Amino acid sequence: MKRIFIDPAKCDGCKNCSLACMESHRQDGGRGLYTLDLTDPVNQSRNRIISDGMGGYRPIFCRHCDSPDCANTCMSGALEKNLETGLVTYDKDKCAACFMCVMNCRYGVPAVSPDRTRIIKCDFCAHLEEGPACVRACPKKAIEVREV
Amino acid sequence: MERFVIIGAGAAGISAARVLRDFRPDDIITVISTDEKVHSRCMLHKLLGRERTVDGINFVGTDFFEQNDIIHIACQTVKKIDTEAKTVYYGESYSVPYDKLLIATGSGFFIPPIPHFREAPNVFGFRDLSDALKIDEAFAKGKRVFIVGSGLVGLDAASALCHRGAEVTIAEMAPRVMPLQTDDYAASVYQKVFEDHGCKFLLGIGASGAVVDGEGNITEVILSDGGHVPCDFIIMAAGVRPRIQLALDSGIAAERAIQVDDHLRTSAPDVYAAGDCTGLSGVWPDAMEQGKVAARNMAGVDEAYPKPYPFKNTSNFFGVSMLSAGRMDLTDGAEILVHKTPKEYKKAIVTNGKLTGYLSLGDISNNGLYLYLIKNGIDVSGKLDRLFRLTFADFYGINEKNGEFAYKV
Repeated sequence: MKRIFIDPAKCDGCKNCSLACMESHRQDGGRGLYTLDLTDPVNQSRNRIISDGMGGYRPIFCRHCDSPDCANTCMSGALEKNLETGLVTYDKDKCAACFMCVMNCRYGVPAVSPDRTRIIKCDFCAHLEEGPACVRACPKKAIEVREV
Repeated sequence: MERFVIIGAGAAGISAARVLRDFRPDDIITVISTDEKVHSRCMLHKLLGRERTVDGINFVGTDFFEQNDIIHIACQTVKKIDTEAKTVYYGESYSVPYDKLLIATGSGFFIPPIPHFREAPNVFGFRDLSDALKIDEAFAKGKRVFIVGSGLVGLDAASALCHRGAEVTIAEMAPRVMPLQTDDYAASVYQKVFEDHGCKFLLGIGASGAVVDGEGNITEVILSDGGHVPCDFIIMAAGVRPRIQLALDSGIAAERAIQVDDHLRTSAPDVYAAGDCTGLSGVWPDAMEQGKVAARNMAGVDEAYPKPYPFKNTSNFFGVSMLSAGRMDLTDGAEILVHKTPKEYKKAIVTNGKLTGYLSLGDISNNGLYLYLIKNGIDVSGKLDRLFRLTFADFYGINEKNGEFAYKV
């Protein structure tokens, strides 16, 4: 079971992780940050870096929790905890857009899609063999994939 | 080898079955259900609105029972439990013995004692798959629908039937729609989108009688203000009651709901109860959790069920999403904070430095945080100036061992 470990002390707030996430999940077929529409909410990042107001940063990434509030409360079966990989997977075709997960995730991670038809949540970049794009984009190694 | 029997295949029954199988790979697990197929009742409106098929509202996959080697006795209603002989009787004259039993019979819709309503064949609930199928059948014969109650269930049915071109009239006793979840403003937003889609609301008005035809079908609803509304059929969405008849008939302690202790044990030995029938809560996530906790106790794990926090819900109709947590009614010393833009409406009730109610309309992302603050009575008195901009970063902590987050308060 893998999890992205966070060391907030190392985070410089550069948000390369957020850009990498947006780029990794863009749906317009384009490639490269120069053509990525940063203002389109469809492209929103699945992670957030928030300033603590004192020069430090607090990265908020989906934890793929051991006991995930989101999957525990999903009434459609769209969100499931995979006990082998440890990931909380999301099937948008099963999702009924009831947003129970949004209400129940105590960390505020799953986001409502702009058209209110699905949620937007970390998928560990399942489509990339080399793993989550955010981790590879971090210049400070503030986030890393570890076995738990 | 132990024999586990579960009565009911809703959220509590199914989550219990799954957990029991995890704990007991080799024991015998049997689920008995009145409905033919497992379904999420929260998605019945998707079925009624023809957005999904029956299999499409199954929340565990159609091969759940085969995959988990669970015996499913479908379309059968349990008549009685012999708690001494530890046997469940169902159907005509069948029986199944158990070592541990879970009652997860849920709740059923309630028809108030309005003349003709309880007997009329064209009055339906909207709780189970069979209800949705009956409504679908009635809808093929007539498009004028009268819905009693504008809570989530009533609006679910209304939105589904609106999509299919029904003429929907909704009567609500309270002065606004979804009275338990909304305030006047949020209610007005929802009322408008439903009206824009052709629904008609009668607020502050109830049904007080009916005109029936020769077969007892209601053809007109008589309103409390004396008005008449012609209709082809009626959907009752005026509340539910825990299904306790089976418990009562079997000598298991129940009043308004089946009585359980903090381990979800009933008054009968080795008989547990979970979900709506316990009256502890009426929302999906809590039923799921109760099913799991009951199952773990049945499997021999000693686990108390923490008191649930049932005052929470979300809705999403015609692209307008809303989240409501806690109590929106005001007590002494309560303070109201409001944030309103053309696209968003957020309202917080703060009582003695703690968040006690939260209502959000628009983009409800990140709002899970507020439910957590309410449930856990976390002090927010130092954060009122930016209450609507709080994130988990304001309570940031990391569990060094497993890398998960942890609230720091």
